[in-house]
Amino acid sequence: MKIAKPLLILIVLAAAVLLPIVTEAYFISIAITILTFMTLALSWDMMLRTGQLSFGTAGFFGLGGYTGIIAAADFGVDPVIGIMLGGLVAGGIALILGMAILRLRGLYFAITTMALASVFMVIIRNLHRLTGGPSGKIVYNTLFNYDSNKVYWFMLAIAVGTVVISELFQRTRIHFAIDSIRADETVAKSHGVNIYKYLIFVFVVTSIIQGVIGATYALQYGFVYPESSFSPHYLLLPIAMALVGGIYSTIGPILGAIILGLSSEYLKLIMPYGHLVIYGVIIVVVVLFMPDGVYGAIKAFFMNRKRRLEER
Amino acid sequence: MLEVKNLNVSYGRIQVIKDFTFSVGDEAIGFFGPNGAGKTTLINSIIGLVRPTSGEINFEGQSLLDRETHQIVRMGISVVPQDGELFPIMTVIENLRIGSAYIKVAREKTSERLEFVFKIFPILKERAFQLAGTMSGGQQRMLAVGRALMAMPRLLILDEPSVGLQPSLVTELFEKLAVIKTEGVSVLLSEQNVKQGLKVIDRGYVVENGAVVIESTADDLKNNEHVKRSYLGL
Repeated sequence: MKIAKPLLILIVLAAAVLLPIVTEAYFISIAITILTFMTLALSWDMMLRTGQLSFGTAGFFGLGGYTGIIAAADFGVDPVIGIMLGGLVAGGIALILGMAILRLRGLYFAITTMALASVFMVIIRNLHRLTGGPSGKIVYNTLFNYDSNKVYWFMLAIAVGTVVISELFQRTRIHFAIDSIRADETVAKSHGVNIYKYLIFVFVVTSIIQGVIGATYALQYGFVYPESSFSPHYLLLPIAMALVGGIYSTIGPILGAIILGLSSEYLKLIMPYGHLVIYGVIIVVVVLFMPDGVYGAIKAFFMNRKRRLEER
Repeated sequence: MLEVKNLNVSYGRIQVIKDFTFSVGDEAIGFFGPNGAGKTTLINSIIGLVRPTSGEINFEGQSLLDRETHQIVRMGISVVPQDGELFPIMTVIENLRIGSAYIKVAREKTSERLEFVFKIFPILKERAFQLAGTMSGGQQRMLAVGRALMAMPRLLILDEPSVGLQPSLVTELFEKLAVIKTEGVSVLLSEQNVKQGLKVIDRGYVVENGAVVIESTADDLKNNEHVKRSYLGL
């Protein structure tokens, strides 16, 4: 068992890296989309582990996208640098806003973060000179010049990086702070946890991830447009993926993104426009019958089997 | 070590602590009083969870008034909250590790501290990998005390540790407290179980309606008429 786990991770990773060699462009584009949403789902879950429900995902995603496009179009920087800038700007704004809004808790925090995406969108729509206003902005110098294999590997690297950060949060001293804040803030404080510092830290890290993803997404297609860059799509889909896969874990959001990502593509092919109905049904069924998500259900199944074997 | 002078605390218009003065040296002291006397409020204002309206709180010569809770705890004050307040979804050992994880001096000695805690509470070693929420009430209380000790406190504050425990467990817990006292930790104990509390403390304060009614040594309190009548049922 001890050797099996790293071996399994290695095999999955190798398969993921070699995917472009064995498949065609259509599957690669699906894989890129799944990786995009997987990373968003994971970053949303990382914030949720502190007990804070954030609806700001789409906001930082859009900010990153706009930063990347503006950097590439107006300042002529390389798209990869533009992506880094996207992360930095999203992280910087998260730091400033976080200092104010992380004083809020529960629904008040959730509603405020939800308002952020709208506020960002309104501001960007009105800064015509810089952002192109309501008609959006395009750039001809896209990420790797539409080479979807390179974009895929780049996206894979970001996703793996996010998985590593998520696991670091679960395995180092940080997880005591994160879990204790979620469990009981007063008791966490009474044991020397600087709650405010850790909340800001997690908020900034997850916002950087969302900004990087947003910039990567925008620069691979070479355009941004207010309504699509800040679309609630980039908020609701990752949440659905994390819930279906299982929250408070790294594997859960990954599983959820793969399950929902693949099923949405397949359903789209067999029943165009009708696929969203079935998609919704999957989410409802999973949330009703597997409250801990698919990963939670698998874990519970193996725990039960182990217990039954021990009792024999 | 800890000095509190003329402390006043109000919740809105209701004054809960009235002109309260007390001190803790290298000793164990106790607060005795009925529900609603202000014992928990007093403890919460020491560790910065409640802000006093006026007065002074000094620990080893430094004021605690403008410090955050986590900073106060890092100075060497540990609290066992009422009902323990463990993290039920974590194992026993994780609960203990949280106690030292965010206090630098204690973190460097985590394994030594674990041994120290296991020596006082051997049951915690046996149950190290069990979820804290699945243990009995008495064991959970022991874990809460152990978690507080992990932080290497110089002052250990216990808020009604006997509450909700059967009499034999209360006796056992107070025997452990007597051991902890001999390890050079100052103790501030808030209790309703005066009979057991008097066995551990050197000095005590009887608190009623947010003010000190009697301040005396443990022996004098045992023979005090008011204490006998109201708290010992004699």
